[in-house]
Amino acid sequence: MNPDNYCYIDHSPTETGENGTLKGKLLSIQPNISVRGWPTEAGSVALEGFRALEDATVTERLREAGAKITGSTRMSELGFGLTGDTTPLAISDGDVDIALMTDTMGETRLAASIAGAFGFKPSYGLVSRYGLIGLVPSMECYGIMAKKPEDIGSVMGVIAGCDNHDLSMPEYQVPDFGHRGKIREPKVVIGTVRECMDTLDTDERKAFNETLSQIRKMGLKIRECNLTDFDLFKTVHNIIGSVEASSSGGKYDGVRYGHRARSTENWNEMYLKSRAESFGLLIKTYLFQGAYFQFENYSAFEDACRIRARLIKKTEALFNEVDLIVLPTRRRGINAADTSTIEEVYDAFSLTLPANVTGLPAIHIPGSVFREENDPGLQLIGPRLGDANLISVAAALSHTTLGGK
Amino acid sequence: MDYEAVIGLEIHVQLNNATKMFCDCPNRPGDEPNQNTCPICLWIPGAMPRFSQVVLEKATMAGLALNCEIQKENAFDQKVYYYPDLPKGFQLSQSHLPLAKNGWLDITDENGQPKRIRIHQVHMEEDVAKLVHETEGHTPISLVDFNRAGTPLVEIVSEPDIRTPHEAMEYIRSLRTQIRYVDSAECSMESGTMRVDANISIRPKNSDRMNTKVEVKNMNSIHNVGNAIAYEITRQANQLQKGEAVVLHTRLWNPDKHVTEAMRGKFEGPCVPDPSVPRIIVTDEWLNTLKARLPEMPGGKAERFFKDYGLSRDEAVLMSSERNLSEYFEAVVNQDIPPRFAVHWIATQLLPALKERNQNVEDTPVTTERFSQLLSMLERDEINANSAKEVLAQLFDSTETPGAVIEKGGLRQVSNTSEIEVIVDQIITENRSAVDDFHNGKTKAMGFLVGRAMQASQGKANPRLIKEMLSAKLGNNT
Ligand SMILES: [Zn+2]
Repeated sequence: MNPDNYCYIDHSPTETGENGTLKGKLLSIQPNISVRGWPTEAGSVALEGFRALEDATVTERLREAGAKITGSTRMSELGFGLTGDTTPLAISDGDVDIALMTDTMGETRLAASIAGAFGFKPSYGLVSRYGLIGLVPSMECYGIMAKKPEDIGSVMGVIAGCDNHDLSMPEYQVPDFGHRGKIREPKVVIGTVRECMDTLDTDERKAFNETLSQIRKMGLKIRECNLTDFDLFKTVHNIIGSVEASSSGGKYDGVRYGHRARSTENWNEMYLKSRAESFGLLIKTYLFQGAYFQFENYSAFEDACRIRARLIKKTEALFNEVDLIVLPTRRRGINAADTSTIEEVYDAFSLTLPANVTGLPAIHIPGSVFREENDPGLQLIGPRLGDANLISVAAALSHTTLGGK
Repeated sequence: MDYEAVIGLEIHVQLNNATKMFCDCPNRPGDEPNQNTCPICLWIPGAMPRFSQVVLEKATMAGLALNCEIQKENAFDQKVYYYPDLPKGFQLSQSHLPLAKNGWLDITDENGQPKRIRIHQVHMEEDVAKLVHETEGHTPISLVDFNRAGTPLVEIVSEPDIRTPHEAMEYIRSLRTQIRYVDSAECSMESGTMRVDANISIRPKNSDRMNTKVEVKNMNSIHNVGNAIAYEITRQANQLQKGEAVVLHTRLWNPDKHVTEAMRGKFEGPCVPDPSVPRIIVTDEWLNTLKARLPEMPGGKAERFFKDYGLSRDEAVLMSSERNLSEYFEAVVNQDIPPRFAVHWIATQLLPALKERNQNVEDTPVTTERFSQLLSMLERDEINANSAKEVLAQLFDSTETPGAVIEKGGLRQVSNTSEIEVIVDQIITENRSAVDDFHNGKTKAMGFLVGRAMQASQGKANPRLIKEMLSAKLGNNT
């Protein structure tokens, strides 16, 4: 365990839940997931010194199920992007079996593609957000990374389901995560998105087609679908995400916790100076952009909300034709772990963020057919609440065709 | 030039729910500072709002009481501004999808004519913390009390239908009566559970132009609202007459100087939909259960009192102005007390006595039973009015029946004609000059003689009998 990869390592013997389904599993979290008493700075000076007052619902449930939370890995500021994020190392170094992180635009799936692991983002509203110190409430959720897809299923079986602390979760039947690792519907039809394929360059397309042909060999049907305005996912996420960040990030004002600027004349100046000293350039730009849309160009924000509703409808309609949608996970030649501008971040996550915009479950499946740097990865998106089946299909695909574990 | 004012009111009412709006902290802003707080209302990172179902019910009942259409779908927005009383940087409010729209209240204008004031919308929002400014040595410091943060409010926005200070005050009174009837709020400007902001503009009479408005805040009584509006109308008219333009801004009423003073504007942006409070879908079934809980409202009740009990219009309005009072009144009437007689005694004796003792009709020891017993003895001439007032005062301090109090105090009225005759004869003998005055046509002398006779009977004689007997003995003076 390389201590440099962690901002907090827990040495206390806190194992509970003797007979839980996660007994003996080692699990890392990020410092924006609340564990009572742990430093919870969310990668930002704006939360310097802040320690969580309560356990997040997921933390509580994981511990009850017997998981050992070993510590928190380093993360990007407020979970926006993957710059500075050490979670992939915790998995690839074998420190932990499972890593829990936030997924605002596809961080878990891209981190998994770096670590050579599975990265899963559940349906929005299936897991309580209570205790998550976030940035973009309508897009973000917990993501799970693991080498074994069974572990993802087990974690979901523990953390999914209604929570009295998060009333934004809609009522639903919690999916049954009991049948892990098997394809329950062997005649799964998988859809590619033509408008997405059009954005790939020749090498990316070649590599991705190779992956698709492997899937076909397994006996699965692949059908091409249309999702017009696919290119708008990025714009919609960018506008709505930045406005929500600007508005809900207002609480990071440096008054009751976090960094507070010294010697200011009045409280307006105190806010300005504290926030100026606290946030990194990327977050600052993002917050500024959000403030711009909120105060100067509100109609663009309203348009983005309308387009988002339309995109959700269109994407969900695809599940009348196919069972799952397949997309690459990442763009060639862009290092998601090293982005310094908003544009770079959005380019890096352009293939994962549609699942955050629509709130649909999505999973990255490891296993490369080409040399690592060319591999655009394999990502499946399922219908809302189709989480359990999605994990099963992903497990079966990796076991049988892609030379995964 | 003759101007008329165009006035719209924005009224914040603190709902009387037991808890705050998004957490289980007590809704008691007046407690020891920062006693009633938790991670949710302090907006500690990671906390999530938990919207109270009871707040929704109270707010909806208020909307129904104001004759609004409850919307099928309503939702919360984040109203962004930076100020130390709002540490999370936004207030949860409803701007895009409010709870209720298109209501109205009927008032009576200066000429006694009925007038309908339309209500644009009613929406829910959380209150913010309270700032306390002090000094530590020579350094001014600002302290924040979070007891009020997250307490439930409804904001009631009227259409600009109000024209005069009188109409504004009538509208506020009517609104208070309606909301108190459904037990959603106390609505007291004095105790801060109702706050009124007035948007005022003026224009030449009979024009339909909408001119630039000025917002006036900080009135702490209904009376002050009237004063502030009157002042503002004059101020704007003077300004226009001087050829100066009215500019959009906010002014504070200064209750000591009786003027409005310009204040610095607070920066406020448009609202962003909040993703953490669930969208509220109002089903017909749920709404119908609430409607079934609506009591008979003051307007209908006053009409019924007027028709069924033969009260005057004013009496009917007075007896229906508060739900508890109206129920007290009807309980008394149901114990066979003539309605107008009951109104008279409630209005002139009971209510002042309650006010003096800081009691309400619902918690006073003078229950409707005891009060009715007293009135019924008075009506049967068993005691006279003076004694009844005395008995009423004693009922507040004892648990005895009015009958027992009367017996103990020897207050039973003397209606025995022979006893009264002795007194009357004695008074005639002792007051020759008054008797002469009476014979000389001074009718006032009769009152004087009755008074002396009552005095001689220690207040116990029946004044009607005394007067009858005096008149018989002295003969008609005309
Ligand atoms: Zn609270």
